[in-house]
Amino acid sequence: MTTKTKTQNSFYLWMGIFAVLAVVGIVFWIEQLTQGLRLTDLNNYNVWGIYIVGFVLCTGIAAGTLIFASSAFLFQGMAEFKPYARLAVFTGAICSVVAAGFFIIVDIGHPDRAWNIITNLKIQSPLLWDTIILAAYAVVGIIFTRLLIRVEERKKDEGSLKVIAVIALIAGLLVTVTSFAFAMWVAHPLWNTAVQPLSFLAAAIVIAFALLVIVLAVLNKSGYIAISGGTLGKLGKLAGAFLVVELAVVLSELALGLYAGTGELGKIITWLVKGEGAPFFWVEIACILAGIILLFGNKTWMTVLGAVFALAAIFMIKYNFLQAQLLNPLISYAGPPGYSGGQGVYLPTLVEILVTVGILSVGGLLVTLGLNSLHLGKQIKGEPRA
Amino acid sequence: MRYGMAIDLKRCIGCHMCSVACKSNNNLPAGMLWNRVLTIGGEAIDTASGTYPNDLHMSYLPVNCQHCANPPCVAACPTGASYKRAEDGIVLVDSDLCIGCRMCMVACPYNARSFNWKKPEYAVDFALGDADAPEHQFNVVEKCTFCVNRLARGEAPACMELCSGRARYWGDLDDPESEVNKAMQGRQTVQLLEEKGTGPAVFYLK
Repeated sequence: MTTKTKTQNSFYLWMGIFAVLAVVGIVFWIEQLTQGLRLTDLNNYNVWGIYIVGFVLCTGIAAGTLIFASSAFLFQGMAEFKPYARLAVFTGAICSVVAAGFFIIVDIGHPDRAWNIITNLKIQSPLLWDTIILAAYAVVGIIFTRLLIRVEERKKDEGSLKVIAVIALIAGLLVTVTSFAFAMWVAHPLWNTAVQPLSFLAAAIVIAFALLVIVLAVLNKSGYIAISGGTLGKLGKLAGAFLVVELAVVLSELALGLYAGTGELGKIITWLVKGEGAPFFWVEIACILAGIILLFGNKTWMTVLGAVFALAAIFMIKYNFLQAQLLNPLISYAGPPGYSGGQGVYLPTLVEILVTVGILSVGGLLVTLGLNSLHLGKQIKGEPRA
Repeated sequence: MRYGMAIDLKRCIGCHMCSVACKSNNNLPAGMLWNRVLTIGGEAIDTASGTYPNDLHMSYLPVNCQHCANPPCVAACPTGASYKRAEDGIVLVDSDLCIGCRMCMVACPYNARSFNWKKPEYAVDFALGDADAPEHQFNVVEKCTFCVNRLARGEAPACMELCSGRARYWGDLDDPESEVNKAMQGRQTVQLLEEKGTGPAVFYLK
């Protein structure tokens, strides 16, 4: 079997897998539309769940990949990543933004009215800011990918990328604004802090860089791109460094909450450390530590495994960020059924999980399509470039 | 003018009549309460904290939308579905504009809002309460309206009627002669989570 047919076979295989999972996701989303969000584990306290976690993570991937790609052209120290910028921007700022948009669509009760956000334009709502940023990521992502491919095809010279790179860097840094949908509310002491915008930025960089480590390692093995162990390791160490920032944020929250012991924040942190949220919290800590240790390792397998743990760590950080706060409301006196404050823990239902997997598969489908039809990989010898 | 209410916590006996009056008057769907009476005490409703016999504590706290002067839910809403009426300060939700994103529920420090997680279902197959009780839509956020439909015809909100402890007072907070302002005179009043700066229009008399 030639390499070409092998590549084609794996292309069809992945397209098939992602398409099936996407269809399953759509079927369950329709079920959710028909029966309502009661098919989720959400309630009047825990109003946001895995869809919003997915949204935050996908927006983070988009921002982080824009930062990655623009840095390669703006900063000398990052220049070795230039060949992977196209792949990064396409994966992050296009495919991941599409997934982020779907996560909002499946989360809201009336997706048919989503356009109200644009037509009514309530400038003070953080949801409008998120909508604008997401749309900007898509536009910047498409232009940046297009220009990067033109440069690769020698139709443009590298100098022409400066402007878009600066715009992409600023756009990436604006992921800080997406934290405001959480950080602006006086109702939530865990969220209503000045560290959240920075924490969202650090998380975006970790999750984007960790995802790139995994994607690049897989594509390197398949021969689609060529990346040295050293370059991959450097990317891993950068992810690791920002994961240390996230660890510092978690430890600071821990210190503040446990020192007080009681009060608004104390209640939440106690719930996390030794209350009902403890199993989730300690998994989060374990993932963060494993991620940091492995990402700073010198073997490629360590970098890749560390990246997997880093993805899990950021997922758990955001998962706990939501449930720890929403299940510990300011007023939590006992009341009638359904109105007794936050109770229990949040565990997504099968419907939520399958819809989430479906959305991620749509992202995967787009990435696979792009890998097959756009010039995202290394220049293949003998293949003419127009 | 600004509508508001005062609730005398010394008179509230935790009978939940205000909750029931609200529920039936507004024809609320099964499982939904716009006004609920919380128990300040033990882990479960109607239980006390402390130990028998000398150290038991229990009191009640009726909670509905606080119709804040500075409502975070209105700031959060991306479509203008949640809005504050300029003429009387009542915070309302336009169900037809609501996209069901629940950003307002996240913003509200009082968890005063409820979402229609399923198609509204009712205990009986005919509508209860006022003829002009609000309609309830699937997949949107709802909350206490201070019974705007009753106010329009000069009546007080439903929770004001039938209160068996006579603990609730209603009126215009800007009018010194209103029932609500008179009830507060000479009494220590608290607002829920006053320190959050939301400026609730509901006052609790201690």
